[in-house]
Amino acid sequence: MSTTKHARIGEEVWKSRVDKVNAELVTLTYGSIVQQLCKDLEGDYTEVNKQLDKMGYNIGLRLIEDFLAKTNMGRCNGFRDTAESIAKIGFKIFLNITPTVTNWSADNKSFSLVFEENPLADFVELPDDGRAQNELWYSNILCGVLRGALEMVQMQVEAHFASDVLRGNDSTEMRVELIRIIDDELPPGDE
Amino acid sequence: MPIYSFYIFDRHCECIYTKQWHEAERYQSAAAATARRASITSAPDGVSLPQAPGRLSVQDDAKLIFGVVFSLRNMVRKLSGPDDSFISFRTNGYKLHYYETPTNLRFVMLTDTKMSNLRAALHQIYVNLYVEFVVKNPLSPVEHPGGVGVGVEMFEYGLERFIKSIEAE
Repeated sequence: MSTTKHARIGEEVWKSRVDKVNAELVTLTYGSIVQQLCKDLEGDYTEVNKQLDKMGYNIGLRLIEDFLAKTNMGRCNGFRDTAESIAKIGFKIFLNITPTVTNWSADNKSFSLVFEENPLADFVELPDDGRAQNELWYSNILCGVLRGALEMVQMQVEAHFASDVLRGNDSTEMRVELIRIIDDELPPGDE
Repeated sequence: MPIYSFYIFDRHCECIYTKQWHEAERYQSAAAATARRASITSAPDGVSLPQAPGRLSVQDDAKLIFGVVFSLRNMVRKLSGPDDSFISFRTNGYKLHYYETPTNLRFVMLTDTKMSNLRAALHQIYVNLYVEFVVKNPLSPVEHPGGVGVGVEMFEYGLERFIKSIEAE
């Protein structure tokens, strides 16, 4: 599938088949979750990242079914096709943003998503305690969502943020790496 | 046209939902088919014909059906590439319709032999009933071992109505 086709599907589904909610409601709800986590875990930002990833993972496991139901997509034709679908269709229909797919590794197994806008992080300033700037990945839930969703379509991936404008970096970049294709399960007692 | 039964299998190859309709008719037609076969093959020595084929439990039925669709699907893919999938097959007793999602959920429906293709209908069940009432139900677990959380009221109700609308066509 060509890139423009992905963009068209994303646009079409976003326009016709998605219930919209107020973006600020999403931003503020997500913000309170992260804030509460920071409070509950007493500023252990590594643990906060982990919890956000886990929450995202559980969202992803279900979100993929909604994605497939809305887009009526079949299986992707290689990992590059997957990357385009995530950026131009997935992020488009659920967050109305289209991150740029870039920095492919030579073996075509890992790529970066660069976010020019990120509705989760609007109005956000990281805590000024000297650690959050270096330890907290504020939007880490998105990594979990991708990991969960792709696992359900037989792709085990590893996703993490490499930079975040909230930390003072120039861009917000997520790195996604394909670990392996998960084999279909066989019925029990069928070797 | 009657629909006999409906099954959903998850990606762990487990049957997570099953529903039967028109029990009596189905076995009549199966018995009639057996009788027809029997009348051709058996010698006319006055031995009474078998009235009904051996009944399997619903679970055993489901296991057999999974075995069949799983093997057929793999065979079809080996023959003509990974993008191909089988759609239906027919015996003289029933027609089996198949639809699978990229997440390896498999939907199977057994109907009357004269039923037209129901792949689109199975897709509709996935989109409008399964995703809406099972996946999006926050109280339902992500995995459904033993069918937990699938047969919820909204799903059952929607399915029943949908099946009636297909049968009426």
